[in-house]
Amino acid sequence: MLNAPFDLWFPIASSSDLAPRHVFHAQLFGQEYAAWRADDGYVNLWENRCLHRGVRLSIGINDGAELKCQYHGWRYANRTAGCTYIPAHPADAPARTICNNKFPVAEAHGMIWTRPDGRTDAPPPLLSEPLSDDAIVLRPLPVNAPSELAAEVLLTYRFHPEGDNSSAAVTASRVAPFTVSLTSEAGGHTARLTLFVQPVDLGRTIIRGWLSGVTTPAVPLLQAHDAGLQVLRDRCEALARALPRPEATAPVYPPVPAELADLPATARSGGAAALRVTVSRKWPVAQGVMAFELRPLRGILPTSQPGAHIDVTLPNGLVRQYSLVNAPGETAHWVIGVKRETPSGGGSACLHDVVREGDVLAVSAPRNNFPLRQDASMTTFIAGGIGLTPLLAMAQTLHHRGLPFALHAFAASPAHLAFADRIAALRPHSRTHFGRTPDETATDLKDLLAGYAPGRHVYICGPGPMLETARRIAADLGWPDAAVHFEYFKNTTPLDLSSTFEISLARSALTLTVPPGRSILDVLRDNGVEVPSSCGQGACGTCAVALLEGEALHQDVYLNAGDRRANHTILTCVSRAVSPCLVLDV
Amino acid sequence: MTERRCTDPVILNQWHPLHPADQMEATRVTRTILLEEPLCHALDANGAPLVWPSAGSAPRLDGSQPSPLPARLAYGFLWACLGTPPDDLFPFPETAEPDRRNLATGTFGVHVSAGRAIENFLDMGHFPFVHTGILGEEPHTEVKEYDVEIASTRDEVLATRCRFYQPKAAASSTSGAEVEYIYRVPHINCAILYKSSPNDLERRDAIALFVQPVGPEQVIAHTFMSVLDNDSSDTGIRLFQQTIFGQDKPILENQFPRRLPLAPRAETPIRADKSSIAYRRWLSSKGLTYGVIPAVAE
Amino acid sequence: MIRLYDYELSGNCYKIRLLCGFLGLAYTSVPIEFHPGRAHKGADFLRINPLGQLPVIDDDGFVLRDAQAILTYLAARYDPARTWYPVSDARLLGEVGQWLAFADSITATASAARLHDSFFHDLDVDAARAGAHRLFRILDAHLWFAEQEGRIWLCPAPQPTIADIACFPYVILSEEGGIFLQDYPAIRRWCDRVKRIPGFVPMPGVFPAGPGLPPPLTAGSV
Repeated sequence: MLNAPFDLWFPIASSSDLAPRHVFHAQLFGQEYAAWRADDGYVNLWENRCLHRGVRLSIGINDGAELKCQYHGWRYANRTAGCTYIPAHPADAPARTICNNKFPVAEAHGMIWTRPDGRTDAPPPLLSEPLSDDAIVLRPLPVNAPSELAAEVLLTYRFHPEGDNSSAAVTASRVAPFTVSLTSEAGGHTARLTLFVQPVDLGRTIIRGWLSGVTTPAVPLLQAHDAGLQVLRDRCEALARALPRPEATAPVYPPVPAELADLPATARSGGAAALRVTVSRKWPVAQGVMAFELRPLRGILPTSQPGAHIDVTLPNGLVRQYSLVNAPGETAHWVIGVKRETPSGGGSACLHDVVREGDVLAVSAPRNNFPLRQDASMTTFIAGGIGLTPLLAMAQTLHHRGLPFALHAFAASPAHLAFADRIAALRPHSRTHFGRTPDETATDLKDLLAGYAPGRHVYICGPGPMLETARRIAADLGWPDAAVHFEYFKNTTPLDLSSTFEISLARSALTLTVPPGRSILDVLRDNGVEVPSSCGQGACGTCAVALLEGEALHQDVYLNAGDRRANHTILTCVSRAVSPCLVLDV
Repeated sequence: MTERRCTDPVILNQWHPLHPADQMEATRVTRTILLEEPLCHALDANGAPLVWPSAGSAPRLDGSQPSPLPARLAYGFLWACLGTPPDDLFPFPETAEPDRRNLATGTFGVHVSAGRAIENFLDMGHFPFVHTGILGEEPHTEVKEYDVEIASTRDEVLATRCRFYQPKAAASSTSGAEVEYIYRVPHINCAILYKSSPNDLERRDAIALFVQPVGPEQVIAHTFMSVLDNDSSDTGIRLFQQTIFGQDKPILENQFPRRLPLAPRAETPIRADKSSIAYRRWLSSKGLTYGVIPAVAE
Repeated sequence: MIRLYDYELSGNCYKIRLLCGFLGLAYTSVPIEFHPGRAHKGADFLRINPLGQLPVIDDDGFVLRDAQAILTYLAARYDPARTWYPVSDARLLGEVGQWLAFADSITATASAARLHDSFFHDLDVDAARAGAHRLFRILDAHLWFAEQEGRIWLCPAPQPTIADIACFPYVILSEEGGIFLQDYPAIRRWCDRVKRIPGFVPMPGVFPAGPGLPPPLTAGSV
């Protein structure tokens, strides 16, 4: 790396370089960046290297919401730079921590700026002198010469304020290490030119500039300065050829986090990290349903994937799980939908009645135990009531990618349909089903699930009885377990907590007894073994651990029949043992 | 031993491919570069290979070549060594089967390290994205579980039970199918893949990548096939391989660092990368330093 | 049907494949193995083109060589909208001709460097690269100022012309010859635009672009 003032902000692109759906290739002090603007206007500035196999992201695809690597199709989210999908493992949620290296970025004066030291705490001033509001941005001019040499040569630049060839009084000075300020006065007009030399690496520079105080049309003036600066560029390069040729600056490739270096087992994302978010908006989205928009108190939110949920800790101390409704690229905030339950256990009522806009809530990082495959030939989403929320995030994802899907939203009436605007935006791939009786619902489901073919997948979320019906119909119509994905809001199975059994922990050589009335999870925690958990009722799958030996009594609603037969996984919050002892991979 | 620009004995003491044998003519001298050393090679009037350091001036074949290097012809290529070579090149027995066609299918210069080129050859996950419509196609992106080991019989990386959906698995195939592969890495810079032959269900076509390291970040990639295909012309098979390699090239040339990093935390592996992890560990265990970024104790 | 004497890794042949893609024109590809077979210098092919160069087309007995010549012929004959080769606008046609000649200069420099690096052709690669950089500086400035005036193609027309097709392949393939496009951001943006023309086909070494910005969505959508 160069010995350089890394605590300064440097311009690395013109704003206009970041065209829609384009990835700009930037470089400063040898460090390469991929810079791209999402459709929501946010400017992402990332290390120019996919963390998987080092391929430059500047050759990737900006789809407006995500950046896709050309090599293996990994997708990285706008704003968070987190990986949202790994096509080689479509059934898994990528580890939440796979995240590209981001750099601080500011957009001002028609340019994109960054700080090489990576710190964001000292905001702009970006320039040593203020620019006037009417400043126009010159065409950036790359020069094969060191920036110090370029700055010296730029001091000799002469120009007329109106761009013609007559003489003018020009003053020039180095106002900062990388900035040259020039003024030109003639015939009562004064034009000011601020030139910046961007050190690309030791031997390469980009001249960037602003012109202010001009009255003639912009394009001829820009052309005049472009021609004038090209003369200086050629002089710089002639001088540089006489100098010893500097080595290209060796970039630094920071290592990935240690937990990513090992080959993961089937990835399970999770994270108890408590985040503090502000309720930036609260509004009714259907009869009995409130939507909440949550924004980070500072910084940005962690990456979420379609199907993910967060734990929300309420002012009354209760913890509840809510699925994120967000579409791809919608990363500045999270949106959840909360249905008022009657009778309420205290969670939904608190959110409806007590929490107001501006309140601060503690939430967990997103967990995705309901990952979306994006390799299906056709995906059907069946949503009952507020079960819509995770499926809406999924449907928006497939819609954005142009992949085939159908979303069927069941609700009591149009007034009960949450997020109707988002559903409408998915037409003609979305359909609503109102006021259907259980029998009519079953008839609808038979139609929707008819004609199973390999490559089709169905995702179901809704009230327990509807879910049971849908699963039974799918099985009757020949859908294999692996193609039927579901998420229960809650487990209504009566739990049998009466048994006593032993658990043997393979990794810590502990054997513990689980007494009646206590869960495996309780006993693990009593003994200092931390296992992440979320819903505490066998619905969300967060507390699953690998089962090495023994026969489980599955009491959850998360595992499907195939998972249960395989007997490789157990949900520790509700399930117990049939055999005297279970050996857990903990 | 003569002073060499490359000082890594692990790579110096290997056989390296230099040229397709079928494109060599008796007594015609060709120049190339191996491990930064300019070399000349030719076949003598008897068809025996001759490789010697190029002195810079116009090379002649007059029997007075200075310090000829160990050289041999095998598997369709001329091979040479700048150090002390092993007695044998790796085994590739399929090439000796009488009903196969052995064919050099193209030679390309690429700005990348040999390790990166080999690792790309072992990788299935990129098929739908880089070889779209030929070796893979969305939405068929899943890399199913497969097995990797260091072979028990000899020192090579072996990946088996590799399966991937291919819309057009070979020059002679017309429809999509799940294809099963076996990958062998019998040499630090050479890899062979075997795939089910569309023409003989019991046997497999073999496709090899022999990488000639020109420098630590520059290679000449030689491709070779030993196939049971009797329908396609030599030209058709070569053009197919060229298409595939032409698609890989811009990926390889945009990988950074260009040298293959051997430290576990340099990049982010997933389960689909088991073979590349095994390959990197295998290179590390040999103490290779040339063209790689060795793992340092953390 | 049109027969195209074709080599898949040739940028000049790619120009013809691109235009056929944009025009929806069917053709039969006749592969000529340029590397390593050097079939374009073989006696059979020299009877078709004594210059020993690709591409050549045979349109129902009419045989034509040279990529730029073929582009003008196919566009003039098969583009009913007359936008790819705008024969009715003299100035525009002149500008198209100017950039077709520029495309030949790109071939002489950027393509030469690629032949050196990828296919081991013996030539002065430093001179080829320097020549390509001189051309790319001119092209980048031209495209940047075009953008300032709201134009997105090489020639001042609302639609692309064969000038864009003629210049695109050896620009996008130039990195294979060690000529990097990082210093030419307006060229990189123009390459994205070319890739988004309906009917675009990729070739080995050229990645397709993602979808462009869709038209504005209606209120209330996401």
